[in-house]
Amino acid sequence: MTVPPATRTRGREGAQALAAELSKLVSLPATWLTLGGTLVVNLILATAFTTAGLQGSTGTKSAVDIGLASIGYAQAGFVILGVLAACSEYTGGQIRTTLTAMPRRALQLTAKHLALAIVVFPAAASTAASGVVLTAGVLGGTAAPVTSGHVAGALIGVTAYLALTTLISAAVGALVRRTLAAVVVLLGYLFVAGPLLRDHVPAAKYLPDSAGFAMWFPSARFPSAGDAGAVTPAQGALLLVAWTAVLIAAGVLGYRRWDV
Amino acid sequence: MEVITIDDLVKRRGSRTILSGISFQARPGRVTGLLGPNGAGKSSTLRVLLGLDRATSGTALIGSVPFVKLRNPLATVGAVLDGSGAHRARTGRAHLRWVARSAGLPRARVDEVLEIVGLTNAASKRVGGYSLGMGRRLGLAAALLGDPEILVLDEPVNGLDPDGIRWIRTLLRERAASGRTVLLSSHLMEELAATVDDVVVVNEGTVVADGTLDEVTGSHRTLEDAFFALTTGAP
Repeated sequence: MTVPPATRTRGREGAQALAAELSKLVSLPATWLTLGGTLVVNLILATAFTTAGLQGSTGTKSAVDIGLASIGYAQAGFVILGVLAACSEYTGGQIRTTLTAMPRRALQLTAKHLALAIVVFPAAASTAASGVVLTAGVLGGTAAPVTSGHVAGALIGVTAYLALTTLISAAVGALVRRTLAAVVVLLGYLFVAGPLLRDHVPAAKYLPDSAGFAMWFPSARFPSAGDAGAVTPAQGALLLVAWTAVLIAAGVLGYRRWDV
Repeated sequence: MEVITIDDLVKRRGSRTILSGISFQARPGRVTGLLGPNGAGKSSTLRVLLGLDRATSGTALIGSVPFVKLRNPLATVGAVLDGSGAHRARTGRAHLRWVARSAGLPRARVDEVLEIVGLTNAASKRVGGYSLGMGRRLGLAAALLGDPEILVLDEPVNGLDPDGIRWIRTLLRERAASGRTVLLSSHLMEELAATVDDVVVVNEGTVVADGTLDEVTGSHRTLEDAFFALTTGAP
């Protein structure tokens, strides 16, 4: 066998940790089940929204707005993916194998988030595009016209939002360490606590969900687009990146301290 | 050749004291057995040694550094803890592949260790379908990937059938004979008497005896008799 060199550089160690984390992610059947299931559910929802749009006054909405409406629900799949990436470590005592192979915990958990970002970006882009393509195909010229710049901007916004939401979910998963509990916390926030706060607390526009929506969902922007003090897409993106960084840092800090 | 040095290890969890000053060494070329009843602190000692748990005070060193500072952990220490250490949804081969990648080891090494532990035919099966014994073999395969100087095993014979026990005994003796360090824990005295050179007996978080197998057995008929005399005060 090839004996590894007695010393390896930090860079090489990082690259090897990333390779290991990528290998873990792609060899976990749940990764592909979750991504495939999310794509299918998104297409079903997009079809439902498009059909509803055909019966209503589609002329007021573009194919982009209708095609992306399903993302508000499909994001649940990305939340689950992020949580699974982090919490699957705690199945079968795998965490002990992980940490005896990669004892530098900050490096290992960072590599895990990076691997997740690499896997989730193309998946998020495909999911975002699938709804819009389906809607545009069905509605054709009946929907409100949009520029290609608007389409590209919305798709990039949605893709980034889904990817960052996945990373936040992994960070929360790393902190909670239990799949079900982490999923309940995140979905409870996104679908119950977040919308309630948005309606009652002005500062809620800076929270990850509202800031994230501002990146891609103009009608959901809070306060409404055009109002003074509304979060712009760029500000929303910056806020969500900051939230992601803070939550990953919190995950790393906790992870470095506790017994596994 | 690396020595394992445990020095005055204390571990408290809340108000409970799990380890109250454990000290001993495990030397190259020898199989050291950490013996004691369930709950004596054997697993906790090994977990602190491997950087999985933090000690309240004291040190556990591989050569001169703590485990978490090792530059190439997989090539220095192979660890087998309880269970398989693998996610049940992955195949045995997929599990070993990601572990190998973490140290930059070639794919061919995965097939080598599968062969060594006798899991070649089960390598494409999901770990969830493995028997207890197969899970233990997979854990050992991961530990052997980097052909390490040191093997650390928590209750290695648990879940193994008589063939498996005989096989792992031979493997550990061979590792020690080639000058490597083997540290294992067990609560089964007789399984170990034939395997270990040195014995460290722990009870209630402290070392109650430390020496060669003959020294610890002393005037008692068997290691088991000596163990009960040491841990329960029985004659």
